[in-house]
Amino acid sequence: MIALLLSGAGAISPPLNAQERPLVIALGAEPRSLLAMHIVDWTTNVQALNIYDRLYYWDGMPPRIKPSLAAELPQTPDDRTWIIKLRPGVKFSNGDPFTADDVKFTIEWLLDPKNKTHYLPRFSFVDSVEAVDPLTVRIRTKEPAPVLRYYLVDFDVLDAKYVRAVGNDQANRQPIGAGPYKLVRWDRDERLVLEANPTYWNKPPAIKTVEFRFIPDFSARLAALLAGEADIVKDVPPFAVDQVNRSGSVEVRGVPSSRINYVALVNFKPGPLQDRRVRQALNYAVNVDELITNLFKGRATRIPGALSGLNEDVNQNLKPYPYDPARAVQLIKEAGYDPARLEFTMDSPSGRYPLDKEAAEAIASYLGRIGIKVRIQVNEWGTHLDKIVNRRTGEMFYLGWGPALEAQGTIAELFRPDRTYSGFGTPAVTDEVNKAIPIVDRAKRLAAWSRVQVMLYTEAPWIFLWQQHDLYGVNKRLTWQPHPAEKIYLWDAAWTR
Amino acid sequence: MLQFVARRLVEAAVVVFLALTAVFALQFLAGDPVKLFLPTDTTPKQIEEFRTRLGLNDPWLVQYVRFMSNALRGSFGDSLRQRESALLLVLERFPATLALSGVAMVLALATAIPVGVVSAARRNSWFDHVGITTTVLGQAIPGFWLGLMLIYVFSVWLHWLPTGGRGSWLHFIMPSVTLAAFVAARFARLTRAMMLDVLDQDYIRTARAKGLAPPRVLYKHALKNASLPIVTLLALQLGQLLGGAVIVETIFAWPGVGRFLVQALLNRDFPVVLVGVFLTAVLYSVLNLLADLTYAWLNPRIRYG
Repeated sequence: MIALLLSGAGAISPPLNAQERPLVIALGAEPRSLLAMHIVDWTTNVQALNIYDRLYYWDGMPPRIKPSLAAELPQTPDDRTWIIKLRPGVKFSNGDPFTADDVKFTIEWLLDPKNKTHYLPRFSFVDSVEAVDPLTVRIRTKEPAPVLRYYLVDFDVLDAKYVRAVGNDQANRQPIGAGPYKLVRWDRDERLVLEANPTYWNKPPAIKTVEFRFIPDFSARLAALLAGEADIVKDVPPFAVDQVNRSGSVEVRGVPSSRINYVALVNFKPGPLQDRRVRQALNYAVNVDELITNLFKGRATRIPGALSGLNEDVNQNLKPYPYDPARAVQLIKEAGYDPARLEFTMDSPSGRYPLDKEAAEAIASYLGRIGIKVRIQVNEWGTHLDKIVNRRTGEMFYLGWGPALEAQGTIAELFRPDRTYSGFGTPAVTDEVNKAIPIVDRAKRLAAWSRVQVMLYTEAPWIFLWQQHDLYGVNKRLTWQPHPAEKIYLWDAAWTR
Repeated sequence: MLQFVARRLVEAAVVVFLALTAVFALQFLAGDPVKLFLPTDTTPKQIEEFRTRLGLNDPWLVQYVRFMSNALRGSFGDSLRQRESALLLVLERFPATLALSGVAMVLALATAIPVGVVSAARRNSWFDHVGITTTVLGQAIPGFWLGLMLIYVFSVWLHWLPTGGRGSWLHFIMPSVTLAAFVAARFARLTRAMMLDVLDQDYIRTARAKGLAPPRVLYKHALKNASLPIVTLLALQLGQLLGGAVIVETIFAWPGVGRFLVQALLNRDFPVVLVGVFLTAVLYSVLNLLADLTYAWLNPRIRYG
């Protein structure tokens, strides 16, 4: 079907006055909320992030933290105190000045259970927030919480005066932020229209009007791109890349994402996967490089351990497990098992990550070559999550994780047995992770996470796979590059010619 | 007549009640909605708190009684996903679906009935054969495939029509054709079959013998008598259209109820699903009631049945 759609492509849109042409981004759904720091959801956040501005953001490649509404990186005079200097002269789109009070309000707002935000658990270590002066915020934490450094990234700031005056419902329907764009119209299940915010502190955005259009069906989104009705569409399937590129007016732009894909090897139940040698053997038995070349046409980047190469805390010294089926068989025998009598079930989603089901099947067939029988259980996404959370998967499950640009959000969540999405845990790993979490000093922290990564490499709690590449279908006339943390920032997008 | 209506209304209430009970039971099979809404770093303790707040930890009987009494008062709670009144979220999408279904139904009837009548009148002619073949195709082609083909031809290739969304009358064309194809085939076949039946009757021969003009015999005498089953089918197919709207609205990005409910189902957004089932059951019952009343009007003998 997609191939058919592609073969007839060749849309030519009538030339409009340079930057007056609206930029249309096709998404699968409308936002669940337009309040900042309310809901964690890609589709929601990618729309709101053009209305709000944030204290810090991930910039460049590899991504590093850069101030936006903050004036500089945070200072930590002691383990529990954080000082944030703010950028002077910033205004919200309604003209309200941006001050320390807005940052204080936003943190206290998200911590108030009444507001039912997803961010409450993340910031639960916050003890107090003070506006020291209009451009200085001081945050004190109950315990040393170095991860706050990362939680301040993508921290979108609400207009305190406005939200206090109108309440959450109105602030959701008619959001006010300090971002490059402001809301014009939100037609339910149809479109969200934004226009350039004249009070934006940074260089005014080149494109004056932006429209997010909600098209739930993927093939229809792609058709909208090819018909010239949409200018950006996310997640072009790898097999369709060449055809999209041949279509004329649109092209695929890819970026190695900070989202990783892996096969978890669950060690919560008795069985062969309790044995580290069996888990290592499964890593030796799968030819990941071949999968990347053949199945993904090179559009995936291998990871040797639990973190992507883009991660600030990645241990650069790890080398991927080589493909060595003989070694795999030997390890399994050393562990006291006969590979020909091993049988596992692997749960996989379908269509959630690039070629997830296909990759799961290919991995099963590699394991089949050394005699291991793997049954693939394909789940609808909600069911898949439910099975992972309730520990009802088979011995293996396929999952993606990210965007992740620092260690704690991945390692502390996925390798401690009490965590929601974990599939693995040993007392030694838990212990090392718990030691790393409170370390504030950057160098010591990096060293601690490096040690944990070496441990995990040896423990082999996953079949380590790859960073997925995010593939966007983009109008060729648009100057815009995809972001490794899945953001669609539009402040520097522009039409050429 | 009044008694007839009253009895039908009681039956309708039972249907709605049973539908709600069934959905309430099904949500226990469908898995836990809570984790789908919370971010991945939520702790098990926080998940439990959230469940308690939503009342998901109460015994099922307590949940059922609370749910039914709320439903009676028209209160279905907030959407888990969007945190707004589930009822309002669904209701504000109804006009879009009704508009699309209405246009599709008119389109379906306007093509299917003439095709059925002419096919019957010219039985075994080339028109009849072409008509039959087309209707078989119409019944066999899946809606999503037809929709995507239309998009491919008329939007991507020819650039005549928008791929989807709402706006001008142009936006109606492809979704309503796709939706109409869903039901038109069945109407055409039924009309043809009923007409063939009726055309063999004595009173038609009499009418012809009287020297009435053939179109008058066909439409005034034959079609009116053949129309009883068509009315039944009409009521049923209006329900079917809502089912078809799920697919059509998804493919053509039409901001209606069908698409919204499917998304709600995939997201385990139960308050929204329950509202959807409630309203659909009510609508179905009302449509059937209307069909029965029309019946009674068309054929007085039924009133006392």
